[in-house]
Amino acid sequence: MRLEAKLALFNALSKLLLVLLGAVVIPPVVSRVAVGHTDQRLHEKQAEVMQLIRRNGISAFVKGEAYADYNILKQEYITLTPLPAASEPTGKPRIFDEPRQVDNEIEDFRILSYNFNIDRKEYRLEIGSSLATVELLTDTLRHMALWVLVIGALITIFTDAAFAHYLLRPLRQLIVRKLRGVHHPSAFSYTPLETDTADFQRLDESLNEMMRKIQSAFEKEREFMSNVSHELLTPVSILQSRFENMLQDPELGHAHSLKIVDSQKTLYRLRNTVKTLLLIANIENEQYLRDETVSVATVLAEVTNELEDRLAQREIHLLEDLEPDYVLLRANRTLLFTLLFNLISNAIKYNNWGGSITVLGRPHPEGGYTLSVTDTGPGIAPENLPHLFDRFRRFQKGASAPEGYGLGLPIAKTIAEFHKAQLTVTSEVSKGTTFSLRFR
Amino acid sequence: MHVLIVEDEKSLHQEVQQFLLQSQYLVDSAYTYAEASEKVFVNSYDFVLLDLGLPDGDGLELLREARQNDRQEASFIILTARGALDDRIKGLDLGADDYLPKPFSLLELQSRMQAIMRRKFGLKRQEMQFGGGFQLDATGRTLRFEGQDVSLTKKEFDLLHYLLLHKNRVLTRLQLGEHLWGNVLEDDSDSNYIDVHIKNIRKKLSQFAPTDFLETVRGIGYRVTEAN
Repeated sequence: MRLEAKLALFNALSKLLLVLLGAVVIPPVVSRVAVGHTDQRLHEKQAEVMQLIRRNGISAFVKGEAYADYNILKQEYITLTPLPAASEPTGKPRIFDEPRQVDNEIEDFRILSYNFNIDRKEYRLEIGSSLATVELLTDTLRHMALWVLVIGALITIFTDAAFAHYLLRPLRQLIVRKLRGVHHPSAFSYTPLETDTADFQRLDESLNEMMRKIQSAFEKEREFMSNVSHELLTPVSILQSRFENMLQDPELGHAHSLKIVDSQKTLYRLRNTVKTLLLIANIENEQYLRDETVSVATVLAEVTNELEDRLAQREIHLLEDLEPDYVLLRANRTLLFTLLFNLISNAIKYNNWGGSITVLGRPHPEGGYTLSVTDTGPGIAPENLPHLFDRFRRFQKGASAPEGYGLGLPIAKTIAEFHKAQLTVTSEVSKGTTFSLRFR
Repeated sequence: MHVLIVEDEKSLHQEVQQFLLQSQYLVDSAYTYAEASEKVFVNSYDFVLLDLGLPDGDGLELLREARQNDRQEASFIILTARGALDDRIKGLDLGADDYLPKPFSLLELQSRMQAIMRRKFGLKRQEMQFGGGFQLDATGRTLRFEGQDVSLTKKEFDLLHYLLLHKNRVLTRLQLGEHLWGNVLEDDSDSNYIDVHIKNIRKKLSQFAPTDFLETVRGIGYRVTEAN
């Protein structure tokens, strides 16, 4: 998952959690605030009433019977009740919830009850505030608080996401411009990233620095290979030309001519060994590019075209069955040609006269492709199989082990690995050998 | 035909020189970049055989220099043992006419030079007459005997063509094999593919006329002798 998506997800989740927490915490808090507020008002009213009583005298309210008053909508009421002597002590006002009947209707009230003593008589003052009113207030407050919370959360989710998007832009550019599609240091872009975020600047700088180091290592390797190549191939070249010139000499005797032809062969072997080692080293040091789109069927057609005479000479029947063709998007055509050439050329060389070769190509359900080359040759002894791809290993001569599969297979293996493919072999003595190339 | 050999390796230089002199070329020599640069500037050549790794400079630079000089119409063939993969591309981009990686066969060099000459002078059809009535057309890749098509495989055709190009020279199986298989690394130099090819060519051609012109030189190789 991308960083930005993760941030947005985390952001949304944390906001959701906040809203849920709000939904749990806000109602009790609001009702406590509302109740506190009501109590406060009740106290204020009590003080007001007591002041009125002190100014106007209790007789202005209580004339033998209890005094009661309520407003029209019965949200509040006040009662003043004379109490029997010394029934309850004068004390602090108590506040509690209780139902009261007001004008034939029973309703829940928040009630302040206060016993007081005036002119040696006890009275009880009760001031009630309808709980319905309180609840209405708490509901309104609760809703408002929740809405504010939800809207706030939504707005911040979007603004946070937008900000994160803006903030992470350099990182996206870094990935798109510098990392994606860079398979070789020479394809790397060193232009500095436009950002004022210190972390990204540092990341960019370290990346550039690292790439420079890799590139310089590449250059050194390339130079080294080039020098080695020069040092090894120049003497071979001199000898090859010299032998050719010597063979043209009309005064050269037949015996010497034969010796020179023989030397030519020896030199040819040396040359091939050197070239093979250089080829493998160059592939392993990533001196080749994989920047071509190559169809397996096309390369195979080129290979069989090159080898048609050899097939005909040994009367070997080649069966091609690619169902369907496979196209490698990042490949090196020349190397792939060499790989297939080596496999099929081996299948001809180590086949029986009049045998057959089957080239089978099948896709895998889970992706990828397998190309296999099967011959009907004498097969390879099981003890020799593990060493088949080793460089310069020779096998004992025998019917089941043709001497020296040579350097063709190590090359094939190296090219396969270069293309992230796996080259494996199975063989049955006196039945044949199958080389399988598994592309992923 | 005037050829400049630019090669710092003395032994190789001498071998190429000897071969070209024997083939009736006029040969000039340069062992360093400075020497070559001066000669390319002053003289006019048909061919410059250019080694890239010179002690005092890069051969590609010389090529670039020469291509800016309008009077120099020489064809450049790059000869290199550096084995750097982009040398070939760079060289051809800079206007080289061909590229031969070392080690190369002198015969191959000569046939490349001939091919360049044909291209240069616009010889569309290169017909070769041989064996009393055979006609080989290298461009159209056909072989005819008195108007009748002789069918050869691709490799057989290439082989016969190469032998004809180097008439009266013994070509060893290795030289022939190298021409046919080019860059493919073969590890069985003892293979008898060439012999089978020759056998088939003889079989196909002898239906029309005797193939005495295609000689076997025992233990060494094959040769096409000047028949007519």
